[in-house]
Amino acid sequence: MKFNRLLLYLFLCCGAFLALYPFLWMLGASFKTLNEASTPSLNLLPKVWQWSNVTETFRAAPFGLYFFNSFLVAGSVCLSVCATSLMAGYAFARLQFKGRQLLFFIILGSMMVPFELTFIPNFVLISRLGWYNSYAALIVPWCVSAFSIFLMRQAFLALPRDFYDAAVLDGCGHLRFLVRIGIPLVMPSLVTVALFAFLGSYNALLWPLIVTADDSCRVVQIGLVAFYSDAGARLNLLMCASSIIILPTVLIYFVAQRYFVQTTMGTGIKG
Amino acid sequence: MKKALLIAVTASLISTLLLVPLFSGCAPATPGGSKDRSFKPLDPDFAVFWDRQTTESAQLLQDLAAEFNRSWQGIPIKVERAGNYTDIFRKVSASIRAGVLPAMAVAYESMTNDYINAGAAVDLEPLLADEEAGLSAEALADYIPGALENNRFANHDNHLYAFPFAKSVLILYYNKKVMQDAGITAPPATWDDFINQCRQIKAKTGKYAHGVHADCSTVNGMIFSQGGDVLKDGKCLYDSPEALAVFRIYEILAKENLAWLVSPSSYEDNVALSKDEIAFVMRSSSSFSDMKLLMEGDTERWGIAPIPQKDPAKPGTTLYGPNVCIFNTTEAHIQAAWAFMKFLTSPEVSVRWSLETGYLPVRRSTLHQPELQQHWEKWECNKVPYDCLAFARTEPNAPGWQEVRDLATRAVSEIMAGVTTAEKAAAALQSGAERILARNARPQ
Repeated sequence: MKFNRLLLYLFLCCGAFLALYPFLWMLGASFKTLNEASTPSLNLLPKVWQWSNVTETFRAAPFGLYFFNSFLVAGSVCLSVCATSLMAGYAFARLQFKGRQLLFFIILGSMMVPFELTFIPNFVLISRLGWYNSYAALIVPWCVSAFSIFLMRQAFLALPRDFYDAAVLDGCGHLRFLVRIGIPLVMPSLVTVALFAFLGSYNALLWPLIVTADDSCRVVQIGLVAFYSDAGARLNLLMCASSIIILPTVLIYFVAQRYFVQTTMGTGIKG
Repeated sequence: MKKALLIAVTASLISTLLLVPLFSGCAPATPGGSKDRSFKPLDPDFAVFWDRQTTESAQLLQDLAAEFNRSWQGIPIKVERAGNYTDIFRKVSASIRAGVLPAMAVAYESMTNDYINAGAAVDLEPLLADEEAGLSAEALADYIPGALENNRFANHDNHLYAFPFAKSVLILYYNKKVMQDAGITAPPATWDDFINQCRQIKAKTGKYAHGVHADCSTVNGMIFSQGGDVLKDGKCLYDSPEALAVFRIYEILAKENLAWLVSPSSYEDNVALSKDEIAFVMRSSSSFSDMKLLMEGDTERWGIAPIPQKDPAKPGTTLYGPNVCIFNTTEAHIQAAWAFMKFLTSPEVSVRWSLETGYLPVRRSTLHQPELQQHWEKWECNKVPYDCLAFARTEPNAPGWQEVRDLATRAVSEIMAGVTTAEKAAAALQSGAERILARNARPQ
């Protein structure tokens, strides 16, 4: 039995190392020369540590401003998506009104439309609203997420009806129930929605590239483009920039992982 | 019954939801492709230039724009980095549909063709001929042969619709150490020399002699060096004896294991050259500065030369690089954009641009500037790309040519993979290219 457990842990450790390896390579390449970083090799550590890569990376683009913009945009999108998906998910789960099912199917159907189909009409709309090169262009189109609405609906459906009946007896309306009782109970799903919304916005490249004109509104992912030229990528600096950019997402995941795992496991369990 | 009705209504609504953005996004920008269409400027106070330069080149372009603005009385120029060429094309295409455009943007010939069809690109002929703002006959003659001509579109009355900008040429990078290990002292001057040297390197060192980068521009450059052409009088020539000779070179490299096929979109051949693993790389001269970085300042171990020729007395190679398209916005924006292009391509500014970015100037008089002479004296290889300008040729700009380029890339990959022979690859490429060109030549 102990031997089997040991084998299992060994197998899992190998898997974890394989999954981690690309990130470790990225960290190592951040401190290599261009030649060393471009060489196809499994070596993690640089021969000579190039600490100057960090200063060169920050000199290539205004990453300080990009980080500020990224957090502002991703944070705003995260809050908006949480608010809209909470209210919409609750409505679809608990309220009874005509066309509820149909409306929900339409929202689900919108998930089938790929971004490549809608970015031109969205850009036309943004331009005509005069929002080109503004925070509004980066935030407003992403304030609602069909997937998040679906997640929250499922979370509210999983709550026993008795909670709501008891709350009504105590004089709670829908809004008070949602705020005082619903949100605390669906917190794991809400944190998952927040995580997806934040990461989705933080990692976006094409849309911010299209709707921004200069550094005042640009986000960190656009900063990575600064390391590509006609002759290829400055791989060592690109990896350095990527390592810096990925830090916030790793930290956020460590903080929120408990809720994320809870939600993922809970989706398979019926009350 | 109710459930069936509900499903039917839902399905219809979802289909409509799917089709509306599809049709609105795919609709042609201009019914009938009117050339008189005008667009709102992206910024009424600035003539915006969408460009793809990064790192030091981007800063230089900003500095040049600031310098131009100091002496220009009209609307100032503002340079915006808008991503790579594909991103810029997407952005411009979206902007055309939105009815708002920057003053100018970098574009390859196939992209310019689309902009012309959408009525977005300005016909530069009236600007060229303008008494005050135009270019004199001497100035026009000063431009590199082909650099201006490639921006004249036969399917649009042979008018000029874009202006040359950042140019480079196909050259041969060679590793002296690998060559010396094989007993070779000079790079190959002819294609026979090239094959023989590849064989010698493989036999004496066991290393691959060359990393093949499957690319249509490389194939075209090799055809030009064979004395051939790619498109003449609307007829594609990929089945000509010169083209076949090029595909046979690839076949020899593959069959005798003298070269390997580089992964798409990678620069592993450059890295291999810097690590003394191969002897020859054929790439654009725009890779020169990155190669210097890879070589970590060493100028003894490598060099550059014109690509091998069939007849060194009649050389040929490819002239690469995007152009700048000026868009139909306001008169003030068009004039500012045109003045900036003349400023950027003036001999004095071209020198700075060339020395600091590695791109080549588009005017011959630039080659006599003292700063360039000093640059050439530092290392003899610095002069090679400039010498190639005299015989570099541009690639076709016919409608549909971008699709033909993809077929040419596939042909090289298939030969190197041993999937097909040189003759079959040439025949397939020829018939594919003819079909594509015929389809795109039909009135739209």
